[in-house]
Amino acid sequence: MNAEVYEEEYSVDGKEFVSIGIASTKIKAALKMLGIPSDLIRRASIVAYEAEMNVVIHGGGGLMKLEVHPDFIQIVARDEGPGIPDISKAMQEGFSTATEKIREMGFGAGMGLPNIKRNSDRMEIISEVEKGTEIRVAIDLRNKD
Amino acid sequence: MKLCEVIDALNSEVICGGDGERNITGVITGDLLSFIIGEAQEGEIWVTIQIHLNVAAVAVLKEIPMIILSSGREPSSELADKCQEENIALIVVKESAYEVCAKLKELRVES
Repeated sequence: MNAEVYEEEYSVDGKEFVSIGIASTKIKAALKMLGIPSDLIRRASIVAYEAEMNVVIHGGGGLMKLEVHPDFIQIVARDEGPGIPDISKAMQEGFSTATEKIREMGFGAGMGLPNIKRNSDRMEIISEVEKGTEIRVAIDLRNKD
Repeated sequence: MKLCEVIDALNSEVICGGDGERNITGVITGDLLSFIIGEAQEGEIWVTIQIHLNVAAVAVLKEIPMIILSSGREPSSELADKCQEENIALIVVKESAYEVCAKLKELRVES
């Protein structure tokens, strides 16, 4: 492990919708502990929570990883779910493949990925149908001025 | 308006009192969690009919100090416990979201 990089990994249970937020709460706590500015913690928390929701709802569980580099925070969410056949469609606000039951709970609004994008500086989705999905998001720690 | 003044002005069942001294900055209503995550501003009251634990998670995330469950929707015990733990006000009103929002507008809670 690089001494300059803080790393933590969290497993995400895919069975319990009510437990969504456990990993992102830990990520938020770790960032607070590291003294990251509060506006960046807020953005990172939104990213982590939305990504965690996706891992539970669509991926059936998986893992999340937090890396804090000297210049940026990276959040990775990985699942072995059905994958995303059309990423550009998945990025469209309002598009969702969530079931009726999940929607009734207020999930699956088709706004998760757009919310992640809005709160990140870089976002990458790697997905293979029937293999799984990995979302990598970076939030810069230093202003580039 | 202070949070405790809003509670006093509404006819509600108070599940958690929250931080009564917090200033309310506005009101948002919606039942889609990602909509609230995208749109809510810190300090707003959130009116919803969702009653499960994730409502508290979203409130924590967005620094929402008060949740109003409309149409008499009773919270799950997990939601009530989490609000208690996080010091978020949680109240139940008999009125619909429309009616309670109209009342909040009349009270000018954001001023």
